[in-house]
Amino acid sequence: MSLLELKNIYKIYGDLHALDDVNLKVEKGEWLSIMGPSGSGKSTMMNIIGCMDKPSKGEVLLDGVDISKESSKNLTTIRRDKIGLIFQQFHLVGYLTAIENVMLAQYYHSVPDEKEALEALDRVGLADRAKHLPSQLSGGEQQRVCVARALINYPEIILADEPTGNLDDANEKIVVDLFHKLHNEGTTLIVVTHDPEVAEVAQRTVFLRNGKLHKETINENFTGEIKFDK
Amino acid sequence: MFFRMIFGTLVRQWKKMLMIAFTIALGSSLATAMLSVMLDVGDKVNQELKTYGANITVMPKESSVLSSLYEVEDGGTSGAYLREDELGKIKTIFWAFNIVDYAPFINAKVTLDDGSETSAVGTWFNHHMELPTGEMLDAGVTSMRSWWEVTDGKWLDEQITGSRNVAMVGTALAQRLGLKSGDTFHVAGAASDMQLEVIGIFDAGGEEDDRIFMPVDTAQTLGGLDGKIDSIEVSAITTPENELAIKAAKDPKSLTISQYETWYCTAYASSICYQIQEVITDSVAAPVRQVADSEGAILEKTELLMMLITILSLIGAALGICNLVTASVMERSAEMGLMKAIGAQNASVSGLVLTEILLTAAVGGSVGFFAGWGFAQIIGQTVFGSAITMRPVVIPIVAVLVLLVTLAGCIPAIRMLLRLRPAEVLHGK
Repeated sequence: MSLLELKNIYKIYGDLHALDDVNLKVEKGEWLSIMGPSGSGKSTMMNIIGCMDKPSKGEVLLDGVDISKESSKNLTTIRRDKIGLIFQQFHLVGYLTAIENVMLAQYYHSVPDEKEALEALDRVGLADRAKHLPSQLSGGEQQRVCVARALINYPEIILADEPTGNLDDANEKIVVDLFHKLHNEGTTLIVVTHDPEVAEVAQRTVFLRNGKLHKETINENFTGEIKFDK
Repeated sequence: MFFRMIFGTLVRQWKKMLMIAFTIALGSSLATAMLSVMLDVGDKVNQELKTYGANITVMPKESSVLSSLYEVEDGGTSGAYLREDELGKIKTIFWAFNIVDYAPFINAKVTLDDGSETSAVGTWFNHHMELPTGEMLDAGVTSMRSWWEVTDGKWLDEQITGSRNVAMVGTALAQRLGLKSGDTFHVAGAASDMQLEVIGIFDAGGEEDDRIFMPVDTAQTLGGLDGKIDSIEVSAITTPENELAIKAAKDPKSLTISQYETWYCTAYASSICYQIQEVITDSVAAPVRQVADSEGAILEKTELLMMLITILSLIGAALGICNLVTASVMERSAEMGLMKAIGAQNASVSGLVLTEILLTAAVGGSVGFFAGWGFAQIIGQTVFGSAITMRPVVIPIVAVLVLLVTLAGCIPAIRMLLRLRPAEVLHGK
């Protein structure tokens, strides 16, 4: 059984089919990239996978359970327990320190644990920046805090939306390195990106066009090693 | 974590929170001031109106009937009298503490040396009483006729003059007799005659300017009316009349038991009159309708005005809070969306915002309360010339009003929060 399965997913806004009969399976521990031009339905797909939206038609099976008809409240609970989110804009709370931003996810999940939050920051190489406010961190550091926050509750899927879109090359490499590390540890990664170089380091890449799954490529050379050279 | 977030918001958004606190303080201060004045204005207006005279008169039953039939004001003509030894009982009725002043009157016809007749009015000036309750009271016309202008000499002080034969003479009579303070003049009553010393000349601006006012026992000696009283004027703090009071004034027996209890235990002029009649033998107590009506009308209008100001100020505060909180939530929509995205339910996010605002409201409300108390004192001193008594009940009322206004002001922001979809704010769509 796949960890995530989209079956005949449609998302329709009036006459616009943002997603049009999309079928997709993601296996546990897989690293998948979703690519496509603007308006292709990437974000819509990410919102549905991330339990932030519901499809107009079709089934979303997470761990074999159809979540497409769940209430907003239940979707929040599923998202909290099973999905770690990483955003292009980082979305850290400006008046909380790095460690507090990580603990925020713990707070809404279960109980904040400062030691554990510090360990998560250590995993992304930011233990020494724990008490800094987001405004005192670089873009790359903020994104790493975002990764630590996504990891803290041991989600089944890490869902990243353009995670390197706002980063310079050096920080982009650091973040992709982190994804490799997470993948090697068995984390399932779904990365929505415009950037072919970020996409091609994944095991598999699916291409969306006009809301349809246009093509799919398997990275035959995927070794889990970083082959990132810009 | 919750309190770290609250603290973080309050500290790092202190300017916005200060504006919200200021708005709440403004509403709270106006509500406190208006409620304090409103709850105290009854006493204040009553005290103010008290300076225009008594609001209840007590007469013997027989002379009351004559007065009603023939519109005769002089109780002495009927030959019926009240008992002087019962005067103290007026301060023993259920509403004793509402009786703030009273004075008995006894009229004796006297003949002056020029052969003319006039009224010698025996009354209390500043009669000192020690009541069975332990309360001390100085009652009499000195305070009940405060509009009298003493043009020569001074007010008669019963504590100083003691048993001397002294009097205050109306300005018209004094002019006719060529009297000034310190002079003595001769009067002859039905029972005895005596020399009276003039303590003061007063200008009352009416019939009283042709009369002589003296202590009760002096007038009684002149007229041979020992222990007798014509009438009593009572100044009482009363509650404006309503339908129940009007019905009871016509016939208390027409009331049901519960209506009777309500009426008896409310300081209506009619219930105070009824209780005075119960303790003064063969008496009829009646409100001076004009004064009682004025009190009621002024009180009602003043209270209505205060109520409107309070309501308007609270509506203004609610609108201000509404704008500020909504603006604050809009600015923080990405933060709220993020919280929802990482697992916060609507209740958690709403609870966070409400706690922030309620804490701010508590601070603003407290500051506003003390400011309002200050405003109330300014109003009290400016309008009534005395301090406004802060009723303890104002505190919970203002607290509840601040809570309700704050919650009402937060409704649009909370609705916005509930509708906020993380996908929309986090993707900037």
